[in-house]
Amino acid sequence: MYEAAETMSATLAAPLDEAGLIRAAQNGDADAFERLVRAYDQSVLRIAMNLLRSPDEARDVYQEAFLKIFRNLRQFRFDCSFHTWLYRVVTNVCFDHLRRRKVRKEESTVVETSEGPVDQITQIEEGGPAANPERQTWNRELSAGIAAALEELTPRERMVFELRHYEGLRLRAIGEILGTSEEAAKNCLFRATQKMRTRLEAFV
Amino acid sequence: MTCAEVVKQIPLYSYGEVSAEIEERIEAHLSECESCREELARYRAFADALSERKEATAPGLLTACRADLRRQIAAESASHTQRSGSNWFESLRIFSQFHIPLRIPVGAMALLAIGWFGARFTPEKFGGIQAGLAQPMFSNVQSIEPDTSGNVKIAVDEVHRRVVSGALDDPRIRELLLSAVREESNPGIRVESIGVLNGSADLQVVRQALIEAVSHDPNPGVRLKALDGLKQYAGDATVRKALANVLLKDDNAGVRVQAIDVLTAHSDDSIVGVLQDVMQKEDDSYIRSRARTLLQGMRASVGTY
Repeated sequence: MYEAAETMSATLAAPLDEAGLIRAAQNGDADAFERLVRAYDQSVLRIAMNLLRSPDEARDVYQEAFLKIFRNLRQFRFDCSFHTWLYRVVTNVCFDHLRRRKVRKEESTVVETSEGPVDQITQIEEGGPAANPERQTWNRELSAGIAAALEELTPRERMVFELRHYEGLRLRAIGEILGTSEEAAKNCLFRATQKMRTRLEAFV
Repeated sequence: MTCAEVVKQIPLYSYGEVSAEIEERIEAHLSECESCREELARYRAFADALSERKEATAPGLLTACRADLRRQIAAESASHTQRSGSNWFESLRIFSQFHIPLRIPVGAMALLAIGWFGARFTPEKFGGIQAGLAQPMFSNVQSIEPDTSGNVKIAVDEVHRRVVSGALDDPRIRELLLSAVREESNPGIRVESIGVLNGSADLQVVRQALIEAVSHDPNPGVRLKALDGLKQYAGDATVRKALANVLLKDDNAGVRVQAIDVLTAHSDDSIVGVLQDVMQKEDDSYIRSRARTLLQGMRASVGTY
């Protein structure tokens, strides 16, 4: 027991590199696993929210994805980077949800209000109470326009766009995550931006 | 390159996703073609509009997700222990650590282990000391002195957990949060405390703590969180100086991207030199491309001569 205690003490005291954290987590160190989770979970939640546009579903994706990581961590052999593996799991879970949703035919999150269309999930910063009302209206419309434009993308286009534009991942990494080539990810991003520009032409 | 070819490449060029050779050819074309420059400006306006989007994530969603995950993992670990009936200490480590703040040293963990498993497996053996020693969060035996009568005198240092609650503007609460920002062993706690403190960044002491975190915290997640809190003070000279330093020296590209975005939200000529340094030293093509755009927007030269 003392020996185990010593090992735990070492992991608690010193900040570890990612590979060290993964190895510790593979050996059952829950602290290391939690640190790994926290290094990525904001990004995971953001992707899930942007893709699924539902807090409940985003919460499910978060749970499912990290549980899969937890259950399969011992099988991770460092033959790709951890973040590639993690995002691969996350994207697959998101795609599963989107597929299921296709069957259920979800309602759009964009609703008509007296002040024009409003997206219930996404908003643009309105600059506080003193902000120009015209600007606020424009922001609301832009926000709804972006939401509608995103809904017109295929799940794959949307994922590539989210990962590149909002998460800042390189296309080569995105290709690896999605099990495709960098070139295919490039084409996907190109199609996504074309579609969105067409849809948002009135705003930019 | 023809105009059609350049226009097709503009999205990838803007993301810094074209090869150096293509980048040069695009730039050569842009320098001579006004309509393509206008197209590039339109594309950038479009990309900037998209970047303004923020998700209206319900407050506390992340915290709720983390709590769900802890519960689920604890349940799985516990049921695995019951099924296997072996290596119980190993499973206890997983169970206990997910429920106890990470800073708790090992001695306390072992005592709590005794308490938790004592109830399950060996109540008669450990039950007697469970009540006395399971409560302290940290115990360290400093000395043991047996005496001739068969008793033993043990000196124990103990740290107890206390739950403190109060308003965010309560100085004592703020002091605790500020001390949590310096909690070396637990980046999770640092992120949480910075998240709470971000709302009070108008106070000099808080802003200074955020600057310290963004400049020196070893964890990029913590640095990003601190950057978040400093966003609204991008006009403050001390903040700008710290962010310029981050932009030039941080080893994490994600943090540098955020730093350049925050710095340039309040664009002024004082950052021209920093941006020119970025052009010389930065490896990340997205950051270089942002710096180049900004320098061009300020009509400053892209290089230093």
